[in-house]
Amino acid sequence: MARMVSLQQPTTQSHPSFSLLTSSLSDFNGARLQSQLQFKRKLGMQNRGALQVSASSSSKNILIMGGTRFIGIFLSRLLVKEGHQVTLFTRGKAPIAQQLPGESDQDFADFSSKILHLKGDRKDSDFVKTSLAAKGFDVVYDINGREAVEVEPIIEALPNLEQFIYCSSAGVYLKSDLLPHCEVDAVDPKSRHKGKLETESYLESTGVNWTSIRPVYIYGPLNYNPVEEWFFHRLKAGRPIPIPNSGIQMTQLGHVKDLAKAFITVLGNDKASKEVFNISGEKYVTFDGLARACAKAGGFPEPEIIHYNPKEYDFGKKKAFPFRDQHFFASIDKAKHVLGWKPEFDLVEGLTDSYELDFGRGTFRKEADFSTDDIILGKSLVTA
Amino acid sequence: MAAALSSSLTSASSVLFSSSNYPSLPSFSPSQRLCFSHSALSSSYSVSPALFTFPSPRLSATAAVSFSVRAATAAGEKKKVLIVNTNSGGHSIIGFYFAKELLGSGHNVTILTVGEEGSDKMKKPPFNRFSEIVSAGGRTVWGDPPEIGKVLAGETFDVVLDNNGKDLDAVRPVADWAKETGVKQFLFISSAGIYLPTEEPPHVEGDAVKGSAGHVGVEKYMAETFSNWASFRPQYMIGSGNNKDCEEWFFDRIVRNRPVPIPGSGMQLTNISHAKDLSSMLTLAVEKPEAASGNIFNSVSERAVTLDGMAKLCAKAAGLPVEIVHYDPKAIGVDAKKAFPFRNMVQKRSDRATTKPLFLSYEHASEMWIFNVCCCCCCCCCSTSMLSHEQRRKFWDGREPQTCLRI
Repeated sequence: MARMVSLQQPTTQSHPSFSLLTSSLSDFNGARLQSQLQFKRKLGMQNRGALQVSASSSSKNILIMGGTRFIGIFLSRLLVKEGHQVTLFTRGKAPIAQQLPGESDQDFADFSSKILHLKGDRKDSDFVKTSLAAKGFDVVYDINGREAVEVEPIIEALPNLEQFIYCSSAGVYLKSDLLPHCEVDAVDPKSRHKGKLETESYLESTGVNWTSIRPVYIYGPLNYNPVEEWFFHRLKAGRPIPIPNSGIQMTQLGHVKDLAKAFITVLGNDKASKEVFNISGEKYVTFDGLARACAKAGGFPEPEIIHYNPKEYDFGKKKAFPFRDQHFFASIDKAKHVLGWKPEFDLVEGLTDSYELDFGRGTFRKEADFSTDDIILGKSLVTA
Repeated sequence: MAAALSSSLTSASSVLFSSSNYPSLPSFSPSQRLCFSHSALSSSYSVSPALFTFPSPRLSATAAVSFSVRAATAAGEKKKVLIVNTNSGGHSIIGFYFAKELLGSGHNVTILTVGEEGSDKMKKPPFNRFSEIVSAGGRTVWGDPPEIGKVLAGETFDVVLDNNGKDLDAVRPVADWAKETGVKQFLFISSAGIYLPTEEPPHVEGDAVKGSAGHVGVEKYMAETFSNWASFRPQYMIGSGNNKDCEEWFFDRIVRNRPVPIPGSGMQLTNISHAKDLSSMLTLAVEKPEAASGNIFNSVSERAVTLDGMAKLCAKAAGLPVEIVHYDPKAIGVDAKKAFPFRNMVQKRSDRATTKPLFLSYEHASEMWIFNVCCCCCCCCCSTSMLSHEQRRKFWDGREPQTCLRI
């Protein structure tokens, strides 16, 4: 059985053996999930196998665009456990099913026997249209779409689509002195994420039953964006943590498993129809606070934090810090009140989950690169 | 859940917010970014009791309170309300707005201000506008809390709000007298400043508070003494009649084309709400006592604002440009508490009276603006749309400056 490995393996490390102890993933698939879900279900036609699926859920034919990298890995498992038929539309570069750290052999066997694959390139819109039309899906989760043009063939192919659920981004909000960002706030048509905005507008224009989820910074095991990983590399190396400017910039992290649950909560939910929801953690955190939280999560001593003025340096094309240098956080009140969803993980718990299932086992996506740190530290040593 | 946001010049900040009562609305365009007058929120927006009623133990109630506005038609019973009001500081304004709102709703209001009617403190706002309370049918008296039994001899009230004491020593005489005379509902203005700083804002009710906070003792005593009590933890407030520097500090500099010096990075987040919104919340607590009972409410805006943002908003309200200058108070040898209006609630302004006429008119204009900005769900702001730049200019250009301005 294939085991999930990081894309970059440190050559000196041998695979840690995966124990069969109860992991947070099992919890994630089981009782805790059920107790959180409050959305209406149609009277069920089938009770598909899985352990604690509500007997009254109706099984849907679901397509996930993507699904093999991060969010979709967790979302697809939840959907399969719920008894839905789940197909992943991917180019096939990564295996369709890879055992997760902490996932039991039985759970993985069950999942991999049920998950389906539709191989193709979503940028080939003719292929998308014909292949989707041929199969006919009830619901589409678009997890990896960036541009509106990528969504058009999907909508055109599926005139009877029950729901289109889109993974957008809180990055669409216009930068503001008034925070947190709420769903009604102004968006920035010039942002890096304008493709997401255009997709949301496009969906609205088609009349399809759409739901858009705007996460902030996502974290958790298998994260390919160096969020927690960036801190863990430095903590492990015993290096100081260089944070730009004051360190009081406030941000917000949301655990991928909580995000996956939110995606489940909107499925077939009338209250989610044509609505946008911010999804992230309950609390915010400053950059300095995040460094300390990562240290706690990994059992490291309190880190030395160095503040620097980024304008004094030229880092070339490299990013010296993985976050936007600004306040960036959103209110999750709408999702909490309208959907009854709330995050399970608090920050240190969630970072611990990520550490224990990923970085702490020797796996990560990007090798440590301290070159920008050294530029900063070199200068501050000189001027100190 | 309600929360408030406080500024901090240190890295650990205490940040709180109130929950929002969001209707499902389309996004606003960027040009309307600062205008929160939601068309869906009509002027008779009423908050359902569900927002207050959370069957939780006291002190850990996470009441979802945002901007509660008074019920459209105050069809309920009329109450006899006593406000015990401080005679100085940022909280002075609360009693003023609360009295006027209660009177507007048809309730009977007495406001007992600490100290003496003739004292110099009474020459400052809001006290120098207490005639507005009287002409609305309210009663203004003066005295000291330990003497409350004498000052209000023979009187009984349904509701008492203590907007004065910061600890049990100051509040106990009022609370005990209220209990003896059969007051049914006891309300207290506490403070959002008592939360212990956290690495992970926002603060919600039930979060750890400073051990030294006298307010906690008051809250405990109220819970033991009254079957119906509630505590309100506000942060910074703006509003015409403010006794303490808040928005005026920014306006003073902006209208004189002076730079606005802000300590630190200017990114510190704070929460600024309009006194009228707090008074709406209090009025609702009076009119729906069962819903409010046993709860602590963070009484703050839906959004936090950065200190830089505050300066910019004041400038926008004034229709003027602003130049912000950041400084390190330690490097310059300046006590930021004295040099900047936030953090220190008892900072006094000098010679306020001489500039009152100009700033009163100016305040109204800016008040309407900031009122809109900070008070998303307040019914009043919806009907008062944002003044255009042209209108604002005319509004206060037309006023004759009556006195020389402060330096």
